[in-house]
Amino acid sequence: MSVDAPASLYLDPQIRDWVLFPITLVMILVGVLRHYIVVLLQSPPKKLSRAGVREQRALLRSQILRATSSKSPIPPAHYKALSRHLSDAFKLGAYLKDGPPNGDAVSSATNALTDPATMDGMMAGMKTQLVMMVPQMIIMGWINFFFQGFVLIKLPFPLTFGFKSMLQRSIDAPDMDVRWVSSLSWYFLNLFGLNGLYRLFLGGDNSADSSRDMTMSPFASAGAAQLGQPQDFTKLFKAERDNLELSEGQYAWAGEELDVKVLRKYGKLLPRLD
Amino acid sequence: MASTADPTAQLYSLPNVLHNQCLTSVKFISACFSGAVAGILGLQNWRGFALFAISVLSTSFMMYAVNCKGKPSRYLPGGVGELINPGQDNIFTFILVWTLFYGIVHGMPSLFAVVDLGR
Repeated sequence: MSVDAPASLYLDPQIRDWVLFPITLVMILVGVLRHYIVVLLQSPPKKLSRAGVREQRALLRSQILRATSSKSPIPPAHYKALSRHLSDAFKLGAYLKDGPPNGDAVSSATNALTDPATMDGMMAGMKTQLVMMVPQMIIMGWINFFFQGFVLIKLPFPLTFGFKSMLQRSIDAPDMDVRWVSSLSWYFLNLFGLNGLYRLFLGGDNSADSSRDMTMSPFASAGAAQLGQPQDFTKLFKAERDNLELSEGQYAWAGEELDVKVLRKYGKLLPRLD
Repeated sequence: MASTADPTAQLYSLPNVLHNQCLTSVKFISACFSGAVAGILGLQNWRGFALFAISVLSTSFMMYAVNCKGKPSRYLPGGVGELINPGQDNIFTFILVWTLFYGIVHGMPSLFAVVDLGR
């Protein structure tokens, strides 16, 4: 099973010592370096004023209340009191950062590009994206420059013919089996395979994970930052009021008729017929 | 944004759910070792992937019996499915380690060649 009959290439073992292990080692180290650079580059979050924090927390309170409304752990009196209090407060704008809205009601959502707070957010996002992309480019360039023109390893599994152009880029042998690949394919194997290793050493939320680079793009982070800052809380509060009403309609206490339920469970009362 | 959350999801203790993710490191290590075994044995094509499947099943059986004590739905939100699923990362890890060991052991004939003692 280990000796393949057709066309077994005999490869210099020194290629393997000086190419296989160095590429893997370099990729592991660069990944760890990338993660720590991103950690160091992250600026501390901007501090909000007390009123600003109160504004956000008020929204959060109503969301928490709504999240469990269909099987709520709080009895009806408390739930309704909370819900009504929040609803009235939202209507009056009592929690707004700049105080209740006055007659002219100028929207505080400034242009995203001019507001300095959003600029910081977008820059931070783009900085991390840049840091993630640059090492990949550098390593690919390094591999293409130094480790070009020779067969590195034989893949133990077959691939379709279409991969040949990608995996045997620098080798001009049209008849060679796709399983003999060049160093660039080893780079790709490492790119995907080391994510698990990073997750083990750097924790789940690491920045060395290359699978996230593929799905995210610089525009995604810019878009997310744009949504973050210029939020018009007046509109949000209004939407939240509607949601609160909806949830109040769905509200059901988890402890309702608890005595009957317990009795039924222990067989002291006849079960329901429906 | 009327969220209709799963009513039983609120009953899960979030720190505990996050802690139970430590099983993923078990899956990763087993993927590494099975990759090494496949490479050293020189398995090719479907045989290597069959070994991976066997290792995934036996690892999840171990976790089922020892860690979850026969009731995976009490320990993992996804139940048995989440227990067995190796995850995309681990599949690639298996392929990487398999290729590495296959190349080392079976691609370098002179590395492990033993010299006749000449008696």
